[in-house]
This record gives sequence, C-alpha cells and structure tokens, in this order.
Amino acid sequence: MRTTATSLEVVATLPLPVRKPRWQVVSRDLRRNKHIYLMLLPVLLYYVVFHYGPMYGVIIAFQDFNPVKGVFGSKWVGLQNFQDFFSSVYFGRLIFNTIALNVLDLVFGFPAPIVLALLINELRWNPFKRLVQTVTYLPHFISVVVVVGMLVDFLARDGLVNQVLATTDPIAYLQSPDWFRQLYVGSGIWQHVGWGSIVYLAAIATVDPQLYDAAKVDGAGRFRQMWHVTIPWILPTIVILLILRMGAMMTIGYEKIILMYNPLTYETADVISTYVYRRGILQADFSFSAAVGLFNSLINFGLLIGANRLSRRLTEHSLW
Amino acid sequence: MNSRLDRREFLRLVGAGAGASFLAACAPSATAPAVSAAASGAAAEPLSLPIVKTPLTLTYWCPMSSNVSATMKTFAEIACYKELEKRTRIHIDFQHPPLNQEQEQFNLLAASGTYPDVIEYNWLTNAPGGPARFLRDGVIVRLNDLIDRYAPNLKRVLSEHPEWRKQILTDEGDIYAFPFLRSDVKLLVSTGLAMREDWLDKLSLRAPTTLDEWRSVLKAFKDRDANGNGKGDELPLSTWASSPGPGGGSRGAFSRYSFVGAWGIGMEWFQESGAIKYGPLQPQFREFLALMSQWYKDGLIDPDVFATNQNAMDAKVTNNLVGAASMQGGNGIGKYAGLMAGKGTFKLTPVQQPVLKAGDKILLGGRDNNYPGQGAAAITSSNKKAIETVKMLDYAYSPEGSLLFNFGIEGTSYTMVNGSPTYTDAILHDPKIPSAQMISRFARGNFNGPFVQDVRYITQYYELPEQKKALDVWTLPSNEKLLPPTTITQDESKKYATTMSDINTRFDEVFTRVWSGKSSLDEWDSFVKALPGMGINDALKIQQNALDRYNKRPG
Amino acid sequence: MVIALPRRPRAFRESPSERAFGIATVAILVALMAVTLYPLMYVLVASFSLPGELTQHRGLLFAPLGFTLEAYRRVFENPVILSGYRNTVFIVVVGTTINVFMTALGAYALSRRNVLFRDPLMFFIVFTMFFGGGLIPTYLLVSQTLHLGNSLWALILPGAVHTLNLIIMRTAFNAVPVALEEAARIDGANDWTILFRIYLPLSWPVVAVMILFYGVSHWNAFFSALVYIRDRDLYPLQLVLREILISSNVQNMATDVSSGDVLAIGETIKYATIIVATLPILVVYPYLQRYFVKGVAIGAIKE
Repeated sequence: MRTTATSLEVVATLPLPVRKPRWQVVSRDLRRNKHIYLMLLPVLLYYVVFHYGPMYGVIIAFQDFNPVKGVFGSKWVGLQNFQDFFSSVYFGRLIFNTIALNVLDLVFGFPAPIVLALLINELRWNPFKRLVQTVTYLPHFISVVVVVGMLVDFLARDGLVNQVLATTDPIAYLQSPDWFRQLYVGSGIWQHVGWGSIVYLAAIATVDPQLYDAAKVDGAGRFRQMWHVTIPWILPTIVILLILRMGAMMTIGYEKIILMYNPLTYETADVISTYVYRRGILQADFSFSAAVGLFNSLINFGLLIGANRLSRRLTEHSLW
Repeated sequence: MNSRLDRREFLRLVGAGAGASFLAACAPSATAPAVSAAASGAAAEPLSLPIVKTPLTLTYWCPMSSNVSATMKTFAEIACYKELEKRTRIHIDFQHPPLNQEQEQFNLLAASGTYPDVIEYNWLTNAPGGPARFLRDGVIVRLNDLIDRYAPNLKRVLSEHPEWRKQILTDEGDIYAFPFLRSDVKLLVSTGLAMREDWLDKLSLRAPTTLDEWRSVLKAFKDRDANGNGKGDELPLSTWASSPGPGGGSRGAFSRYSFVGAWGIGMEWFQESGAIKYGPLQPQFREFLALMSQWYKDGLIDPDVFATNQNAMDAKVTNNLVGAASMQGGNGIGKYAGLMAGKGTFKLTPVQQPVLKAGDKILLGGRDNNYPGQGAAAITSSNKKAIETVKMLDYAYSPEGSLLFNFGIEGTSYTMVNGSPTYTDAILHDPKIPSAQMISRFARGNFNGPFVQDVRYITQYYELPEQKKALDVWTLPSNEKLLPPTTITQDESKKYATTMSDINTRFDEVFTRVWSGKSSLDEWDSFVKALPGMGINDALKIQQNALDRYNKRPG
Repeated sequence: MVIALPRRPRAFRESPSERAFGIATVAILVALMAVTLYPLMYVLVASFSLPGELTQHRGLLFAPLGFTLEAYRRVFENPVILSGYRNTVFIVVVGTTINVFMTALGAYALSRRNVLFRDPLMFFIVFTMFFGGGLIPTYLLVSQTLHLGNSLWALILPGAVHTLNLIIMRTAFNAVPVALEEAARIDGANDWTILFRIYLPLSWPVVAVMILFYGVSHWNAFFSALVYIRDRDLYPLQLVLREILISSNVQNMATDVSSGDVLAIGETIKYATIIVATLPILVVYPYLQRYFVKGVAIGAIKE
C-alpha cells in the first residue's frame, strides 16, 4: 500500500479545470468592472456619435462627389481617384519628400523636447527653472505666417544669416532645394521644442524623489541618476509618443510649406499635401483629396500597428 | 331705423372700402403705367416701386467683403441696402460666411439641402462643377424667362451689350444669376508695370517702350547708381514671382503678360481666331525665356525674385532698391506713394508693356473679363417669391439703382456735379477710415455685387495722377487673344485637373530653373518635347471644346 | 505653464565633469531662451511700431520703430471683440472641464489591467485618429442631425476628447503603483473613489498638462467656428482676430494717398492680434502654476 503519492499522481486525481463558456467570462468581467464600463460609457458614446457616425463619408474617396447629391447620391467611380493620384508623374517624389521630412523630424525633432526636459530637470535654481519653461514654449503660439516671414527675411541674400556668415558668395537658402529640409525641420524645432517638452516635464514631475535619494546613496552622480532614474521613469511616455509619431509618417501639413517653398525647391519641398492643394485650385475636388487622405491614413495606420507590435515585443509598453 | 341704416351704411362702406383697396392693389403707384405681363419677345413688365405691398423678407447669402467688415456687421447696414429696402419694401436678411471662407461654406451650404432665397457667389470659377451643374441639380433656377418678363433693366443692359450676355450664359444658353458687370475697359485692368520716375529723371532717361529700351534703362539703373547710395544694390526689375494662389507659381510671374505679351503669346492659354494655343508650346516662348534669363544673368532682375513675398517686396521698394516692378494701381502705386510720401524723391509712373519693335501694337496684356464671375446673385429653388426677387435684383440695373449701388446716397456720399456723380470729400478723405471702407459704408461700387459697375467710380477713386495715368497706360493692349470665360464640362474637368497639375508643376520648375540660370535652355527644350507625353494634347482638346462651345453660345 | 519638478539638491560632492555639465546646461538653455524669446519679442515690438517704418525695416528688431497704439486701437474698436473674448472664455471653461472629466474617465478605465475589452476598445478609439468621414458628413451630423449648428456647443462637443491626450493620461495612470489601488480596494473603495481620491491627486502634473493642452486648444480654435458659426456675435476670439487681420490687409483695397500708415497698418495689426491672443494665456498661467504643486509623496503605501 502506498503512503505517499507523487505530485503527478496527486495532480492526476484533481478535478480537471473546466473551460468556462465565453458568455460567462464576459458577464463576470462586466459585473466585476461595472464601474469601469460605466466610466467608459460617455467616452465611447462620444466616439460613436462624433467619429463613427460620420465615418460613412470615407466612401467619398470612391465617388465623384457632388455636395448637392450628397454621399448617397453621388456617382461611384471605384478606384479612379486613386489611379489619378498614382498616375501623377510626381507620385514617387511626393511620397519620398513627405517621408523624408518626417524621418528628419523624427530623428532630430522627436528627441529635442526630451533633451530639453532632461536639461531643465537638471537645473537647481527654481526661479531660473521656471523662467526657462515659460520662455521656451512661447514661440508655439506665434502663427506660422509670422515665423516664416521672419525666416524669409533672415535667409534672403542680403539677410541676417548671410551678413553674419559674411561669405564671399551669399547663399540663397530658400531657393536651394538642398537646404529646404534642414530649414523646415530646424525652424520647426525652434518653434515647438519648448511646447513639446511639457509632456515630458510633467512625467518627470511625478517621479518619486526618494528614487533620486536612493541613487545618490548608491553613489550615482548626475549622469547616472539621469540614466537610471529619470529616463526609465519617462520611458513609457517616450515609447507611446514614439509609436504615435510613427503613425504620422505620411502626414505633413501644407500651410508652412506653401509659405516656404517655391518652384526652385519643389524637388525637396513638394509634398503630398501641397500637391493636392495646388490641384484643388484647378478643380475643387473633394473626392481626390479624400482618396489621397485615405491612402495616407492606410499607410499611417499600418505603420502604427507595426510600431505598436514591435514595441510590445521589445518593451512592455504599447497602445494595445 | 338706425340699425338698418347703419347696416346698409356699413355694407356700402365696406363695399366701397373693398373696392378702393382692390383698385389700389391693381393700380400702379408713382412711376410707370402698369402693363400686364407680356409674352416673351414683347417688352418686359416695367419695374414699379415699391415692389410689394406687404413687407417681404428674403434671405440672402453672400460673401462678406473686407471693406465692409471693418466697420459693419452685415451688408444690411450699408446705406444703399437700407435705402433699397425703403424703396422696394423688401427686407433682406443677410447671411455671411466668415471672411475668405466662402468656398468651404458654399460647399457645406450646397450639401445641406435647404438654401436661402438668394445665393450670391462666384458661380463661374468657384462653384465645383460649374453653374450648369447647380442648375441641373436643382439648387438654383434658370432665369431666362423670369428676366425676360420681370427684369426690364437687366434685359436692356444685356441687349445693349451682347458680348456681356454671352459671358454670363452657360454653354447651353442658360442665365443662372444676376451678374456683376464691369462696364468700361478702365475697370478691367488693375495690374501693370510701374517704374521709378525719379530715377528716370535723374538719369535723363525716357520711359522705355521696346524690349531693347527696357534693357538699356534697367542697365542704366544698375550701372549708374540710380538710388544714389554709392552701392550697386539696385534691383532694376523685381516682382514676386511665386505665389501660391491661382495663377501663382511662376505662371504668375510678371502678371502673366507683361513681357511675354510682346511676342503676342501668353504664359498659358490664349486664343488666336478661335484656335486655342498653349504659350509654352510656341517657339516665341523660347525667345522670351532666353531674353529673361539673359537679363537675369546680367543682374537686371532681382535675384531673389522667386523667394520673395509681399512683405519682402514692400521692404525692397520702400528701401529704394527696386527700379521697376509689376504692381497694382491701388495696392501698389497708391500704397507706396502713401508710404514714401515726404521721404525723398520717390515717384512711380505706370509704364506700358514693352513691344518687340518700336511702333508695334501690344497684343496681349492682362485684363479681366467684363463678367469676372464674382458677385453673381442666383435665385435658389427654395425661393417662393422668385418674381419679387427678380424685380428687386433688377432694380440695381436701372439708372437710379445703378447710382444707388455705385455711389450710395445723394447728398451724403455723392453729389451731382455737372451731371456726373461725384463722391463727397467726407467719403474720400476721412482722417481715420480709408476711402475704400468709407465708400463701402454707402455703396458696393468699389468691390462687387449684382449690378453694373460704373467707370466713374474708379476715375475718382484713383486720386493720384499716376494712378489715373495707369488707367490709360495699362489698358493699351488690344487683347484680342485673351481667352473669354469658357467653362469646362464636369466630365472633362477631372481629366484636365489631373493632366494640368503635373504639367504646371513641371512648367514651374523648368521655367524658374532656366530663367535663373540654374539650367540651360536645353532643359526647356526637353520640357517642350515631353509635353505631349504628359497629356498636353488632351488638355488642348478640352480647352478647344470649351472655346467652341463658348463661341456657339446664343449671343 | 510651469511644471513644478522634484527638487534636485546638490550632491555631496560634485565631480568636475558634472560641474562642467551644469554650466553647459545653463549656457545652452540661456541660448535657447534667447532664440525662442526673440520671435515673441519681435512680435511685441512690431505691434507698437509705426507701420511705415516697419515695412522698410530688415533684419533684427529689438525696439519699436516709433511708437503707436494704432494697431491695438483698431483691434479693440472692432464691434465684436468683446463678445469674442466672452465666447472664448465660455468655450475654454466649459470645454476644458468637459474635456478633462471625460479624458480622466477614459484614461483611468483603459489603464485598468483586468478589463476584458481594454485592448479592443483602445483599438476602437485609436482607429478614429486615422479614419474619419471628413468635413461634410461631420457638418451634416452636427448641424442637421444634432441641431447644434450656430451654437457654441458645436465647438465644444465634437472635440470632447482628444485621443492623443487620452493616451498621455492613460500612460500617466499606468505609472501609478498598483499597490496603491490594491490597498484602496482592500479598504473597500470602488473605482470612482480610487480615481478621484488617489489617481488624480497623484497625477496632478499630468492633469495640469491636460488642462493646459485642452485650454490652449480651445483658446486657439477657429476652424470649427469657421464652419459652424454664422452669427458674428458668437464668433470666438480667434475668428474675430482673423477677420480683423484680413480686413486690414490691403490686398483688396485701392488706396488714397494721405494714409500711408493707414494702409500698411495691416502688418502691425497682424502682430497686435498675436499679442492680444497670447497675452491672456501668459497672464493666467502664473495663477495656474500655483496649484500644480508636486503630488503627494508616494510613501503612503502601507507595506
């Protein structure tokens, strides 16, 4: 007779776990989290009404849209609008320029506010700290028309930049396609780095000071504190914002570029939105811009999903 | 008995009263004898005021003008409309989209399904698909019969000017709106070339007429230090060649025709005896481009001409750097004269477009059409009082109505001097408010609307002698080759837009590169060779069809 | 808006490289401040300048050219400027309240771990950042179906939640230690209490940023107003300023001689409108800052 049982035998005698029916799992979740779902109710209602409600408008991209006939009365043309766009001689260039500007902005413009936030965090004298925060976000409020106006003035042949550099041959920056990308991204950083740092500053503000104390006790100097405390603390924020940034790689607003570009710089400055804008002057064409927008959104969304998946694998942070 | 007498009295009185009011309703008031509505072909019913017995309110959607919005909330506050209401007893309920937002708001309005009684808009260029489409879709109503019967004034205007009538029709011969018409050639040109007169005087030069003379003058400006500061910083010829608006890109360069017109061709589309032509395809275009790039190389043209905007341009002019430029009469000549008043010898003079050889006629200049498109009032299908609306809109084309809309209120905003309406001093020289806005408090003559613009407005508005001279100098071109306001059909417009988007982009690039010397003329030649492959022939055909349809319109 | 950051007391001993870093930091930030302050200073100075002088000026500008209040006079003389302020204040106060409330609810709910539908719902929401019906269907919905046309609610409700902000707040809530929630549940608290008594107070800086982002977004908004508002009395501030700006732009106007400055005034009015729009934010912000003191120390966890 056996007096002890091996674990395997013990396990073998336990009742098998029963797979719960789906509805039971759901109803248990609803019951347990009823407050959660109640909280979500107004938010979801908002999205359903204001975002999913009008979503049928997406089919405008497949129509020859006539505002009088409306979405349900306009003629269906299938992929014609997309073909019009793809068949443009400049299609490749437009896509390339759009992505190129976004990549540059990602590489230089995305880290800039983070660096700024970290630097501000290193300051010890509070009044100066507050001053820096206040001043650096101000240009964000200045309209892009004014900013580009300044740029045009500074970069003219006889403008400030050429005077300061005092080279023999003044460079006409805004007429050279080689300079456009740098100027566009650089002026964007100038204008928005302060505002962009606010999110990171807010994240840093929630760090437990005891973590810094603990690190100091362990002999960590400023750099190590930054590396081991601050940065890991704001990493979730960085990752999430990075994922979202990847979901905007096909998007560039036309307003600033229109103010900055001219035919001499079309080579690097002409992007999808400026092309659509110029085309819209020839023929106010809802369907065309809807199709282009849909095309952009599909690619953006694909990039987002990819970035999200990648992040889920590499870090534990992701959108879903 | 009292009661019976009263009753009979009462009936009699009522009968008499009824009869009286009946007669009053039928009888005409004040002006013309009533004539029953005639069949079409006969005279239209003359306009009699007031138009309605019981006050009527009409809803009227139209773009706001910046002249008006500066001091007033809606057009209802403009004196001419207040007076119009008094005369016609029709009250207009104005609805305005925000400034410069008309196009988007118009589309939303069209999508909404319910329309105000009148929509005043630029149906010709800004209505997607063209006015014909809105007639077909039942948004606005066809006006031919209504005008024939109830709008004698407009009818008279159109019969006196068949070429205007042709411009306002659709290709099918429908009248879709009460048009804004610029009556005189002086009203049609607002932009042209202007030069520093004081520099010409200083260097003892005459205003140039041929291209060679232009070259010498520009060279003299540069070599002989026209602005007298010892530096060779003059920009003999400048403009801002790159603007994002329609006709912008480099196709806006030098207001489209200032120099290229010397060869009798245009920058883009023009016509020669009914045949459509595309400028860049003409061999003369190459000559034009070659000359321009030579001038650029010789330093006669502002090197930054492609990266300049309005502000930079203003700075260059007011800093005495620019010798000649293409500019507007008001926003250019007038503005700079005002800014530089009392600062040195600054004086601009309008200059005619150059020609190839002395004595040539100028064939192509820039000119608006008599019917530019904006300010056209259409009657919508929601309007239940179409006849009254037609009569009201027609009043603006009558002699009294024309004075009202162009000049405002007699005694307040204008007085009759030798039979000619003259704006009062208070209007033109208010110390605080610019004359443009002052006039707009009383009339619409200085912007647009459904009436005929009177040339006497501009001759008074342009007060400076050089502005008045511009009216003569800039209207010299004969302009037979200009394209009339044709319309492309809806089916063709998509193809046209797709094709021309790319062609225009390429044109802009090549043109500016060759002109500024970054590429040689070889690149231009390749561009011209590549045009058929880019679809220019399709675009030519579409434009030709549009022109043919235009010419076939019932005059 | 200034975020109150944790204090960084001086270390016991600072290495020379750290001191150099400290100096370099200050130098960089001072340079950055100079460069980012310049545009605003330019705008401020230009708004008081004489338009004629400003037109001629090239290059850097540090002091007004001449002095005139004409640009501001023109702005404040506009008949609807006061109603513009009033409308915008309404939109900012009511709108931001709704925004923060809804965003907090959504962010909290979506940050809870054992919610079955959390990921699908997140997808559902983020999807709307990329795909939408466009202007006309939305316009028809708001004005015809919901009858919100020509009212200030059309400017508030369609933007009740910005998905980006929702995500940011959710990320912040994720950072709060789970132990706190568990401790609270043991004490019998339900989700509402946990949200309002624990999470929000602990995430004050992020809440402050939400108020800032939504508030500024409402303050600067004009596109919705362009689309939905018809009465000039209901125009929010930015729309009024935009109109003033366009009106003074001389493009459409012919001109008379005597008023050279009157014509170019469009330039200085452009700058005055920016100051008028930005100044209130700068004024209000110090008051906001006082409330955003660093959150409660996390050492309240019972171990």
